[in-house]
Amino acid sequence: MKLAGLLDKMLAIARRDLLTAIRYRIGFLVGAAGALAELAAFYYLSRAVGPGFRPDGVEYFPFLLVGTGLYTFLVVGINAFLHIVQEAQQTGSLEVLMTTSTPAPVLVFLSAMSAFAGNTLQLLFYLGGGLLLAGSLPASPNIPGCIVIFGLSVVIAVAIGILAAALQLAIQKGSALVWLLGSGIWFMTGTLFPVTTLPKPLRLLADLIPITHSLKAMRLALLQGAGFFSLGTELVILALFSCVLLPMSLWIFSSTLRRARLEGTLSFY
Amino acid sequence: MDSIVLESVSKIFRHRPALFNWMGRERGGETRALDNISLTVGSGRVLVLLGPNGSGKTTTLKLVSTMLLPDAGHVLVEGADTRTRPNQVRKQVGFAIANERSFFPRLSARENLDFFAALDDVPRSSRAEWIQATLERTGLVEATDTLVMKFSSGMYQRLGIARALIKQPSILLLDEPTRSLDPAAANHFWNLVRELPEQGCTVMLATHSFSEAAAVGDSVAVLHRGALAASGRLSGDVEELRAFYFQATGEMDETMELVTPRW
Repeated sequence: MKLAGLLDKMLAIARRDLLTAIRYRIGFLVGAAGALAELAAFYYLSRAVGPGFRPDGVEYFPFLLVGTGLYTFLVVGINAFLHIVQEAQQTGSLEVLMTTSTPAPVLVFLSAMSAFAGNTLQLLFYLGGGLLLAGSLPASPNIPGCIVIFGLSVVIAVAIGILAAALQLAIQKGSALVWLLGSGIWFMTGTLFPVTTLPKPLRLLADLIPITHSLKAMRLALLQGAGFFSLGTELVILALFSCVLLPMSLWIFSSTLRRARLEGTLSFY
Repeated sequence: MDSIVLESVSKIFRHRPALFNWMGRERGGETRALDNISLTVGSGRVLVLLGPNGSGKTTTLKLVSTMLLPDAGHVLVEGADTRTRPNQVRKQVGFAIANERSFFPRLSARENLDFFAALDDVPRSSRAEWIQATLERTGLVEATDTLVMKFSSGMYQRLGIARALIKQPSILLLDEPTRSLDPAAANHFWNLVRELPEQGCTVMLATHSFSEAAAVGDSVAVLHRGALAASGRLSGDVEELRAFYFQATGEMDETMELVTPRW
């Protein structure tokens, strides 16, 4: 597929999502209000805990800010894949979309990219608002490192999202995977407190979750200004997860889609 | 040359009961939706699929569109097998499905068509002009900038036809296209379908309406319980088609009872 054609499709999908979001005016405002309330809650929680608690050597509020902001960004992004397939099944547009000239994996990928673009704005708004509330900016953040970590984390989230979409097509219950991510494992990824406080078996499990490494690396790069050498282990782990998960998820999605076409279950939900 | 070829095609839908179905009455099993069907549609011709509910009309259309894949046999569209070259098939086929709500409700008619046109590789330079022309052809020009969530059933149906036409397909699949249209709009639509073969477009249309079939079709295939019961050329005579249909399916023509006095 030519790049110009791909960009044209990307723009069409982004335009659809933007127009739909704008026209759900109340939903947009409620989302912004929810983020502000969350920021305020974490700010007062960190004040209640007091300045003595410095997880991984940083102040608690910035620690919380990066953890909750990035975790929410990734899980909402993963959920976007599921939501796209679920909504298309319910409205009946999935079958129509699958008969356009755009291959299904490309379509799902572009739709999720559009969702990630929207979520990135929300993440910047959340982090910016939080840093303003904290009244201080990180001293010497490693911005190129943050960008690399962010990119690798998005690739991993895309892969998990595609798996959720495949699960939705296969058993119409992709939400189970997102629920597991959203509520089942959040406490193991170091979102609210350092992973080092967990018992050893859970620490080992936490190491198998890619988001744990995303959060750890982002805190190191953004809050402590760690260089690429110090970030090495985490970057290698994230790159390995990306290289394995993305092709695997695309293969599983294509196989599931083919099976749904054979069984006639594309529009089941 | 034949644009659409179905060679000994069978399609079976297998039903698996829910995992924990101890209390329910759901059972597994299978439905043979199409059984060893073979038919062809010549380039620039209009084939009408007639048959009662559940006879396999929509399944046939879905197989041609690649929405479904056959369990046995081959479906060839302009020479491309739907199983091995689905992307090539999708570039050729426009499908107006019976589901009216398969649009993005908070986008206008123009915005919906623009979205699908982009996915179907309609060149950006000619897209706006072609969308406008298609909206005019389908009688939706006054609703161009109306959000589709405010559309009536008939307007949804017209938009579905517009969406299928927007990619200028060489093959157009229509599933009960006039189901929600008023008589004038249906007549307008039939004129539109009759013009398509002149532009090189092959049409496959599924309907229950004898009038529609006689008005637009060159030939007819009667499906009954997943099998091809009969096929033939159409003369445009509705009564002749009605007789042909009931003879092929073996069903009772109850409308005859309504006009035949019972003493």
